[in-house]
Amino acid sequence: MNENENNFDSLRRLLAFKNRETPPPGYFNNFSAQVVARIRAGESRGSASAAEQLLAEAPWLVKLLQIFDAKPAFAGAFAFALCMVLVFGIVFAERPDYSAPQPLLTQVSESSAPLSPVSPTAGLAQTPGQIMLASDSTNPVTSLQPVASLFGQQNPFAQQVSFSLPGN
Amino acid sequence: MAESAERTESESPAPEHESELVRRARKGDLQAYDDLVKRYQERIYATIYHMTSNHEDANDLAQESFIKAFSALKSFKGGSTFYTWLYRIAVNKTINFLKQRKNRTHMSLNDIDFNAEHDTDLIALISEKTPRRDAGLNELQKKLNEALLKLSEPHRLVVVLHDVQGQSHEEIAEIMDCNIGTVRSRLFYARQQMQAELADYLK
Repeated sequence: MNENENNFDSLRRLLAFKNRETPPPGYFNNFSAQVVARIRAGESRGSASAAEQLLAEAPWLVKLLQIFDAKPAFAGAFAFALCMVLVFGIVFAERPDYSAPQPLLTQVSESSAPLSPVSPTAGLAQTPGQIMLASDSTNPVTSLQPVASLFGQQNPFAQQVSFSLPGN
Repeated sequence: MAESAERTESESPAPEHESELVRRARKGDLQAYDDLVKRYQERIYATIYHMTSNHEDANDLAQESFIKAFSALKSFKGGSTFYTWLYRIAVNKTINFLKQRKNRTHMSLNDIDFNAEHDTDLIALISEKTPRRDAGLNELQKKLNEALLKLSEPHRLVVVLHDVQGQSHEEIAEIMDCNIGTVRSRLFYARQQMQAELADYLK
């Protein structure tokens, strides 16, 4: 290593010249005061901003942002994936779920089962004319107004249900 | 600045004193932190300046390093000296900055100390190359900084810390968080590169 040091002796003397480069006169007189002033200003602002706090508390987010910064294609792919998830979410949320029972109708059918001659499920198989005959009863359970559908179709579960009390 | 570094080294107060300042600064005592900044400002600034070859960048980065160090003081466990820990913050900040600045190098060099013109070693180095001393010094300064900027950041850092600022291999290894062998090999490679770049000025 000493031989190497000797080989680079001229270079080291040349590099020592770098120490002759000095900042403007008086530069360091105010340096610490400026640092302290900036610290005070930062404290009065309420320490770190919300974004800085978030980044400090979530290092994985910092890494993610660094990846995005290094490879913009990743940022595009990530944004595209997010959009697709959002679109699929909206589409599936608006699609009616046929398998799910209607709570109100279920409740009505359970309470009226021993009394009604027409069961709610039977109503599905009835023709519109039969439904109209059944609606002659004076005890409508549900609204007779048709339920509007987002897709312009009548909701098959929103049927008129009526029954007659014995003795009427 | 090597002289000032040596001076600061020799004049630096007892470690107890520094640890007391750090303890007070951790509690939010800005006067204590002001003392710590004054103690290391020249060396931190010089390191960043030699890495960036730009006074404005060095000013911003040095201030930001001290501000970040203050906000992170609570995480300082005392495993290393405050000086080494502070250096690590400044070095990491500078290297991150240089990576972002890549290919947008703009030198803003400081003036040369008046005493340099009376440095016999330096005059001997440049007198054969250029007839005018002033022009020679400015040209040498420019060439030196250009040669440094051609090195990769880790190689440049080792040269700056060792050959410009006079730090030991052990200190550099601690600052760069690598082993001494790596420091030595980086230094050797960097010097070879610099020697080739500055062949005109080397006998």
